[in-house]
Amino acid sequence: MSSTSIPSKFDVAVVGAGPAGSATAYLLAKKGFKVLLVERGRGLGDKQLFGGRVYAQPLREVWPELDKEAPIQRWVTRERVSLVSGDKALTLEFKGGERKSFTALLPQLVAWMQRKAEQAGAIFATEATVDEIMFKDGKAVGIRSGNDVVYADVTVDAEGVNRLLLERAGIVPRLSPDHIALGVKEVLRTGSSQLEAAFGIGSDEGVAWVVVGDVTRGVPGGGFIYTNKDTVSIGVVIHLKHAINAIESGQLNNHVYELVEGFRLHPYFRNLWHGATISEYGGHLTIEGGLSFAPKRLVYPGLLVVGDAAGLLLSTGINYRGVDYAVYSGKLAAEAIEYAASHGGLTYDNLLEYERKVKDSFMYRDLVRHRAVEMLMNDPTMFSKLAEVFIGLFSQMFEQDYSVPTPYEAFTGALTEHNMSLNKLMSYMITAVRGL
Amino acid sequence: MSATVQATNKQSPEPKPMKLEDILQSDVWNVDEEPHIVVDYSKCEKCPTKPCIYLCPAGCYTLAGNRVVFSYEGCVECGTCRVICPMDAITWNYPKSGHGIMYRFT
Amino acid sequence: MRIVVGMKWVPGTQSVRIDPKTGTLIREGVPSIVNPHDLPAVELALRLRDKYGGEVIALSMSPPPAIKGLEYLIGMGVDRAILLTDRVYAGADTLATSYALANAIRKIDAEIGKVDLAVFGQETTDSSTAHIPAQTASWLNWPYVYYVRDAWLTEDGKLRVERILENAIEEWELDMPAIISIAMKSIKPRPVSLLNKIRFKTNPSTLITWTNSYMNLDVRCVGLKGSPTFVAKTVDVPEVPRKKIVYKPKDGEDAARWILKSLLSDEKASRALLKALRGSSGGEGS
Repeated sequence: MSSTSIPSKFDVAVVGAGPAGSATAYLLAKKGFKVLLVERGRGLGDKQLFGGRVYAQPLREVWPELDKEAPIQRWVTRERVSLVSGDKALTLEFKGGERKSFTALLPQLVAWMQRKAEQAGAIFATEATVDEIMFKDGKAVGIRSGNDVVYADVTVDAEGVNRLLLERAGIVPRLSPDHIALGVKEVLRTGSSQLEAAFGIGSDEGVAWVVVGDVTRGVPGGGFIYTNKDTVSIGVVIHLKHAINAIESGQLNNHVYELVEGFRLHPYFRNLWHGATISEYGGHLTIEGGLSFAPKRLVYPGLLVVGDAAGLLLSTGINYRGVDYAVYSGKLAAEAIEYAASHGGLTYDNLLEYERKVKDSFMYRDLVRHRAVEMLMNDPTMFSKLAEVFIGLFSQMFEQDYSVPTPYEAFTGALTEHNMSLNKLMSYMITAVRGL
Repeated sequence: MSATVQATNKQSPEPKPMKLEDILQSDVWNVDEEPHIVVDYSKCEKCPTKPCIYLCPAGCYTLAGNRVVFSYEGCVECGTCRVICPMDAITWNYPKSGHGIMYRFT
Repeated sequence: MRIVVGMKWVPGTQSVRIDPKTGTLIREGVPSIVNPHDLPAVELALRLRDKYGGEVIALSMSPPPAIKGLEYLIGMGVDRAILLTDRVYAGADTLATSYALANAIRKIDAEIGKVDLAVFGQETTDSSTAHIPAQTASWLNWPYVYYVRDAWLTEDGKLRVERILENAIEEWELDMPAIISIAMKSIKPRPVSLLNKIRFKTNPSTLITWTNSYMNLDVRCVGLKGSPTFVAKTVDVPEVPRKKIVYKPKDGEDAARWILKSLLSDEKASRALLKALRGSSGGEGS
């Protein structure tokens, strides 16, 4: 039995079966490439964690059957944005109707993508941690896991935000806190009827809710709420650079879980999941400022970089797009490999098609256009002050005993109360508007 | 959201905060026998801020007196400690053979 | 050497929830894993195969999801795996389980080739009975030694095993075929290998399923019907919250002094300590 020959040479080896890797492997296997998809988890999506919402259209380009088959929790019909200061909150709601985005539990969604890849003919090897991308004469020739080496004409790095392999290959520097945020998340089980009553939605509706302000104790970041079928995903995201500064200055002396705790128990939000049990708790790193995080190139001889590892994630403070970017970059990588194969082979020059495709895509355009958001998110004062001033404004307008202030009085009152000059506010607003 | 929330508001007593170790009970691990993360404590001794104590979401880094104590069993494999450690004291790997956290819902 | 190694697919959690009404484990939502105590058994079987040649066959009686567990063992290097699965096997206690396993081993012996050795883990994390290897040995009438931590072949073709006890290490010699169970945590299992996982995915015959229409066991002897024992009552023992304190003593005396001081500073602990001291001195009659 042991003498059975084991295939150890593939057309393409994909490292990491998250959204990006699974999409790449699926599309290539469907086109007849001999694909190996390697995953360190057990092939049940068990290493997957994200905020909670996925934009559908880029996924439909890979799996047109998405709406019918994928484990979708709820289509998002309502967008809410809250500014929070202390116990006070200001909320804006947009009610849409189109099937633009949906909530999901990422382990389930990714397990579906993995099965798709396997059904298409990719060899899906699980419980195998890749230790190294193997290079020969400057060209990636395969991967190593423990003592096992597997060769491939092209290696696709879909290892995610924690780029151990690209770091070991000397392609990117060690991950630094500058462009990284930490997301800490809880999934709360409430039951669907309670959930729908509490959020004021129908059984075919879903809410995506972004929270800015006090939830992260002034450390740049924010909170999020997504309604699933019978659970609610909640969590906070904090920028690691500012978290470290806040710890050094003594501003942050709580454990990061207490931020989620504070959010879950916040008087304005807590009744949305009253009596819920915690189904799961976890943490994951995410990218802030994708372009600064991206490796110098997305194509190296024999190697393509996709998904989070390529810095392809948009985070504007209101919109977070990671899963769909990952899938879409996987699609572009698969197309580029196919293009190369049909244009004389998987040479470096031919594979550069992937980089061209990314630069021509909506992802790259948006990452460039939203660059200013980085500046916004990188200014801690701006972040906390804006929420305070706006809450102050509405507090002046609505919280009154006798006299009703004019809008001007409310506005200037809020500014004085929070020690902010009009000039400073204007400059923040300009940055903010430019960014958003 | 006003009416419904107000209605439940009256019946509900203020929810109590939970301890991290209780919250972590909701998670499932297949713990490896060998740690996938190794910490050089001699470097921790010289670390003035010890941000790992606050920022590891799974609370794997705790203080015993003034010393950092690390336990890998409850790690959620996010990589935060690797990114924030100012002393470069952490050798970080993913667990082998599918070990470690087993997410189901997140 | 042809070695059969047993595997149980158990809930992957330290805090197994028990349904208070039925006394059975609640497995919903809790992913399962290979019983951790089976892994040293697999490792020893693989080492024996690597040394003496032959093959290792993993065997498990379980519903189909246990295929993931057998896949794990194939990943470690087990040559092939057999899943005994059938509705009539459901609800088996250790007697009914060992009956089915013993018959499967007979079937392997008859249809695949002579079995020389069966290796099991010491016990399972979800029921801790340690019955299975002993009962399987009884059904087969094979010699059985437990708490084994090493094994090798003698020149005259017998199996020599090293057995670890609390205060002694013994060596036993067994005629084969034999059954051994491996002391928990006594051997470090190897990690999963990528090439073995590729072998599993590219070679479907690596894992086969035997249902009862193939096994042809008397349905009165398997599953719930063949199980004379049942769980009468389970009590959920709440976990005692523990505090972690690290103290670096100067020497032994300092350590003892510090432990004593810490215990005496806690009312409950000091009462228990005094009680224990009184009890032991009373026993010695001093």
